Amino acid sequence: MNILLNDNFDLKTYITNGGYNALKKSFTLKPEEIIEEVKKSGLRGRGGAGFPTGLKWSFIPKTKTQKYIVCNSDESEPGTFKDREIIHKNPHSIIEGMIIAGYAIGATKGYFYIRGEFAREARIIEKSIYEAKEAGYLGKNILKSGFDFDITVVRGAGAYICGEETALLESIEGKQGKPRIKPPFPAVKGLYGCPTVINNVETLASVPYIVIYGGENYSKIGVEKSSGTKLFSVSGPVKKPGVYEIPLGLSFKTFFYDWLGGMKEGEELKAVIPGGSSVPVITAEEAMNTKLDYESLQKIGTMLGSGGMIIIPKSQCMVELLYVLARFYHHESCGQCTPCREGSGWIEKTLNKILNYKAKKQDLDLIVDISNNMMGRTICPLADALAMPVISFVQKFREEFESHIEGNCKICGK
Amino acid sequence: MLSEKIKQNLKNIISKYEKKESAIISILHEIQKEKNYIEDSDISELAKLTELPYSKIKAVLTFYTMFNSKKVGKYHIQICRNISCHMAGAKKIEKYISEKLGIREGEVTKDLLFSYSTVECLGSCGTAPVIMINETYYENVDEKKIDEIIEKLKVAK
Amino acid sequence: MPKVIIDGKEFIAKENETVLNVAERNGIYIPRYCYHPALSIAGNCRMCLVEIEKMPKLQIACATTVTDGMVIHTQTEKVKKARQDVLEFLLLNHPLDCPICDQVGECYLQDYYMEYGLKKSRIDLKDKNRKPKRRDIGKHLILDNERCILCTRCVRFCEEVTKTSELFINSRGDHSFIDIKTEEKLDNDYSLNIADICPVGAFTSKDFRFKERVYRLSSTSSICLSCATGCKIKVQHNNGKIYRILPDPNIYTNTWICDNGRMSYKITAGPDRLTKSIIKSEEHHLNKAIIKLFDILKEAKEKNLKIAILLSDYLSIEDNFALYYLGFEILKTDLIYASKEKEQKIEDGILINKDKTPNSNAVSQISKLYGIKKYEDLKDCDLLIGFYDDIEKLNIPKNKSVALSYKADKEYDNLIAIKTYFETEGSFINWQYFLRKTAPSVSAPTDTISVYDLCLKISELFGYYPKEKELNKIFNELKYKTED
Repeated sequence: MNILLNDNFDLKTYITNGGYNALKKSFTLKPEEIIEEVKKSGLRGRGGAGFPTGLKWSFIPKTKTQKYIVCNSDESEPGTFKDREIIHKNPHSIIEGMIIAGYAIGATKGYFYIRGEFAREARIIEKSIYEAKEAGYLGKNILKSGFDFDITVVRGAGAYICGEETALLESIEGKQGKPRIKPPFPAVKGLYGCPTVINNVETLASVPYIVIYGGENYSKIGVEKSSGTKLFSVSGPVKKPGVYEIPLGLSFKTFFYDWLGGMKEGEELKAVIPGGSSVPVITAEEAMNTKLDYESLQKIGTMLGSGGMIIIPKSQCMVELLYVLARFYHHESCGQCTPCREGSGWIEKTLNKILNYKAKKQDLDLIVDISNNMMGRTICPLADALAMPVISFVQKFREEFESHIEGNCKICGK
Repeated sequence: MLSEKIKQNLKNIISKYEKKESAIISILHEIQKEKNYIEDSDISELAKLTELPYSKIKAVLTFYTMFNSKKVGKYHIQICRNISCHMAGAKKIEKYISEKLGIREGEVTKDLLFSYSTVECLGSCGTAPVIMINETYYENVDEKKIDEIIEKLKVAK
Repeated sequence: MPKVIIDGKEFIAKENETVLNVAERNGIYIPRYCYHPALSIAGNCRMCLVEIEKMPKLQIACATTVTDGMVIHTQTEKVKKARQDVLEFLLLNHPLDCPICDQVGECYLQDYYMEYGLKKSRIDLKDKNRKPKRRDIGKHLILDNERCILCTRCVRFCEEVTKTSELFINSRGDHSFIDIKTEEKLDNDYSLNIADICPVGAFTSKDFRFKERVYRLSSTSSICLSCATGCKIKVQHNNGKIYRILPDPNIYTNTWICDNGRMSYKITAGPDRLTKSIIKSEEHHLNKAIIKLFDILKEAKEKNLKIAILLSDYLSIEDNFALYYLGFEILKTDLIYASKEKEQKIEDGILINKDKTPNSNAVSQISKLYGIKKYEDLKDCDLLIGFYDDIEKLNIPKNKSVALSYKADKEYDNLIAIKTYFETEGSFINWQYFLRKTAPSVSAPTDTISVYDLCLKISELFGYYPKEKELNKIFNELKYKTED
């Protein structure tokens, strides 16, 4: 069953399929009631952190000040391409979700922050906003509710770090995307110093369903602590890569064989990164024995993250892959705080040596040590996002690294 | 030098935002769309026109990787080098493009039409390998597709 | 008032105080780079990480506001390891410039490394990041991007204190570096404070560069005399030579000091310095000069010539009153003049005063108490004694003047070589009415004399021996404030 990936390319189709009914219903409810429904639904942030959405909304003070709702469409986590899918297929669900969220927290202004490379997707959203405005779903006194709401699209310009909430706010404000020190949290002091909620595209797109059918019904989908549906964007040598909407709690085995069709001809499964490059890697065996929900994945030492699933075949050298990842995080580090700025470059340099058979014996323990020294000591979790893959790759595929250090690799052909 | 069109459009762009400073990224996108890169003199001019410090604008220009500080080809090919595209053969694609156009990363072809750089995840991993030319995505590329794309662009207006 | 426990001891904190400030106020030092009391909080160096109970991760002390009952630990193994690791990251790409770096002796990297680090480097020299070095970025500063630890104190200083925003961080990650617009110069009036606040040798002073090791300098507290603000300063010197001036931060007058005031020590040395007095265009040793001056004055008195004395806003209370005494009691002239009152205010919003003289508030009081005329009233005289700068400003004919001066000037027939206030004591009242004294850091050239001593000696030659009480009674008559 699809809550998110429904083909509602334009406003007409969206309305035919029940679009903007949730907004109409929202205006018959009190803002607190809507927050209650979202809390009941168990909806968790779909961008990667998995923070309970209703709880996040409830942190906004009830005072009558300027507040903002921000949609995080920065989608730059390697392996993740699900928000783009919603924008192509069902753009109005995001907009409706945003307006409802605005109404629930008392925000009259929304910002749609979209990564700079998604130029085409930004145009789709602009068009959708225009359509919604023309139809009276945006602007002043929406549907005679007395509620004003407007959305401005803001484009990024090539910085993964702007997916972090406070770096995103800095970027909207026209500055370098450097994360802020927390506390204060955005709910207290966010965009332009005002209370702000930042939600992922998928999170907001899930809101209309929750309002129409009620939080309790949403919570019946999925499993206890991971309710609802989740988009998984799958890449790697499977027969059917792409974006899938699954009920949380689905076993990986079922997903892999029934939905993805298994590996391509000639490839064997070696490892899986279940939720975007920032989560620890798991072996094929671990994957086959787990379910796709927040708790199950956490139990085996990884995370659901963004749902950006990367399938790794036996024909892919793990050393090479980790090097590609380290290079990414080094490139994307904002450079603000010491451990991440210096550590990311150090890890990339050392992995480059290991990859090219120029490393010393202690270099393998070195990169794990650097990772441990970076973790938990920085302003934002980018350092952890590099550290965790490094630690997990070395832990689970140590032989491949040791092989490179000894000067050979069967997979790379040396 | 900023064009007249940009200078006249500045007020328009700034009016979309709550604070003048917040318009910087948008303005830089506009400048780049027109002349495909942003020079230092553009920043100085922009600073004077908007009455914002040069340092703030330059800091933004150098932080975000989509902005080009040097001239690039009319068609700037950006090849994703991240994890899924890497597994799908991004390195081979890069090598092919480099040899076909006779340039290395950061260089521009003699006819000023093409240049390329390697970039990080473009958010379309399911259709790897992916490249982006200016602001258009090309997915599931292979050598044959690249030949077609480049031929098309060579004759385009 | 929240109560907190740091390292087992209970302290009472102020409302909204940070862990770092409570600790420091109570003698517990937490190491830091990016934190500076006069700038906004950046929280990027991560050196001040401490352990706070009930919080799983270490927290930065500079940005964590205390809550009632908070329990903080600054010396646990976890904290010590964090400091070691942060230092390792800071030193990772840092160049081994110590032998040629001016920061030695006041370098936070060196000091903290000795205290908290002591790890051996785990990166090959050839793998270290290279960045631009020795960049001439202004009248007073050289920037070395390799040494920089990107604490952003300099960027914040230009944004928040001088509000000129010249500096910015170019690029991101470990390739980022402090930068300024090409061809623009960092020459706001306070640029040298950046060399002070830079915790490492990234920003160095052109004036001080390579001249002396910091640990060989002695420090003397004094005051700046470049304007009526009268900033408190530290004059740093070794072996009779002044090498630099630093601000002496205080809650009353100044945290910083302007570049002009910082360079004011240059009057003590250099080719311009007047080291011997000139009388009737001839150079003389001090004692001979005094006698010759006495002869001139005696002759003038006998011939009933008009002798004028100028009091000076540039000179100390002691010197001014001695001049008054010489004129009024000894030379029996009533042609004594002083400057009219000047408007005093901070004209740039930071420190520089509209009144460019250090002692207006003392001299104007003396003027009122003793009915002294104003400069404007000066019409005609046959001989005039005054401070060089005043005589220059008032365009008095040089052949009639006896100028008390630090500077040599061939145009004058009579110049008395006096000590600067870096070489002698002097009391001044600043625009806030604080009474403060300069203290000598170095010895003056042998044939120079303080204005006070000059007046005393001349008086003696006329046969008068004024008691110290007589010359210092002015202090009982002046109104001023003292610091608590």
